[in-house]
Amino acid sequence: MVLFLLKETGLFQGLLPTRDLLQVAAPWSPLATPPSFGLGHAWVGSFLVTGISLALAVPLGIGIGIFAAEIAPPPVARILQPALELLAGIPAVVYGFFGYVTFVKWYADWSGQPTGESLLAAGVVLAIMILPFIASTSAEALRTVYQDYREAALGLGVTEGCLFRRIVLIKALPGLAAAVALGLARALGETLAVLMLSGNTAAMPEGPLSRGQPLTALLATELGETAAGSPKYRMLFSAACLLLLAVLALNMGILALKRRFFEHLHE
Amino acid sequence: MNRPRPLDILFRGLIWAAGIVGMALPVWIVGFLLVRGAGRLTWSFLVDHPRGYPPGTEGGILPAILGSAALILVGLVIAIPLGVGGGLYLAEFCPSKRLQSYARAAVEALAGVPSILYGLFGFACFVVFLRMGISLLAGGLVLGLVMLPILLITSQEAFAAVAAQYREATLSLGTDRSAWIFWVLLPKARVRILAGLVLAVGHAVGSAAPVLFTASVYFRRGGLHLDQPVMTLPTHLYFLVSEAISFDHAFTTALVLVLGLAIFNGAAMALRHQMRDS
Repeated sequence: MVLFLLKETGLFQGLLPTRDLLQVAAPWSPLATPPSFGLGHAWVGSFLVTGISLALAVPLGIGIGIFAAEIAPPPVARILQPALELLAGIPAVVYGFFGYVTFVKWYADWSGQPTGESLLAAGVVLAIMILPFIASTSAEALRTVYQDYREAALGLGVTEGCLFRRIVLIKALPGLAAAVALGLARALGETLAVLMLSGNTAAMPEGPLSRGQPLTALLATELGETAAGSPKYRMLFSAACLLLLAVLALNMGILALKRRFFEHLHE
Repeated sequence: MNRPRPLDILFRGLIWAAGIVGMALPVWIVGFLLVRGAGRLTWSFLVDHPRGYPPGTEGGILPAILGSAALILVGLVIAIPLGVGGGLYLAEFCPSKRLQSYARAAVEALAGVPSILYGLFGFACFVVFLRMGISLLAGGLVLGLVMLPILLITSQEAFAAVAAQYREATLSLGTDRSAWIFWVLLPKARVRILAGLVLAVGHAVGSAAPVLFTASVYFRRGGLHLDQPVMTLPTHLYFLVSEAISFDHAFTTALVLVLGLAIFNGAAMALRHQMRDS
């Protein structure tokens, strides 16, 4: 599958548009003469949206993880688990729609603009989408550490708060990092929600409140109207390959972190 | 006894707040969809064709439901043999531990690939290269690929979880390997594989990105054919919203999708409980 995506970039025909790929400042205007395929705006859009979603979802997700692993009384934990599973099971397109009729509408009403799509709205909804994954992964890591250390530490007369700060947090760090990386990988590759919420405007975003077009939204918008084999088509597949590489690298990182976590735990 | 310090109390409060947000979010989202969409959710919405102009402003969503179901069926034709077979190979026949761990890492990486990339791959490989066109067959194959890694991972784990004493007992009776696989291993692992299957199908039904360019069209009359495009539930919702056709219908379509998946996932959870009991 990777090879096939690479083939479509024109790599093997020596047509890889490397020069265009590196032109971050060039605008995306495939209909101009000569056409220009700058992907800078899409990368900036993707990183802004992903950054916003992580900034919201990481503290909240790890907080929910701590809650689920340690603080929640058993009946509450029994409600929390299916609630998070329900959240994880809602399809992206429904999240997109939900964001469209809530956040986007509110912002449109508040700012007085005709439409309210923004990178911020996409980031907020994305944060809700990756929240269950971060929460359950970090809860699992914390639970494992607690099981191993709690009784020994409390037996030494250490307080709960100290146990948490000095031992659990440090021992669970690789596990928590894996949770964040998982969220990052999901946020970077998410398509439908950002497509519906970011405004889908092929221009360099000026800030979190402006409209933009993250990379996945660009792919979803343009692929349907692109002739197979054309320079634009090759450009889209090159962008897809970079995205694939980024996500695969993140996955490798998650595996390595998980391995570290289990070694770290028992040394 | 140590008195709790104020910072600890603050911290505890924040964690409780996070937990409560975690429980409130799904209630808010599903409740919102219920309040706005349940009024229209009637039997005729489920079994009628989209009507009105543009289509979708009146009528129902039957072709989208059928299209989604047909895509899943085509996908399962690929995903079940490859997924369960691959899991069986990794758990039972794999010659070296090293190969097993590499294969496992590769499959896990595949499971983490964003669904839009499956869509791109399907477009380039099935639609353009293999000349299937935008069709039920192409989209079903893509969804099969989406489901494959989940199914493979869960079925490998299902096979690995069958206890070793069954194997020793069976083989010591002088049976051969195929008897062990067909009479003991598969029946023992069946419930877990089924749970994995439900998980994979639930994931595939809701994902619009893989079928957006490979199988779906906004509106279509006529039956299901392998070489023709279809309507699907998630893309129907996407088109209703992005083309601003009918928000009322979008609410109800979203509700149908979420409730359907919740029932499906509830079934998976019940299966898991049954597994724990047996």
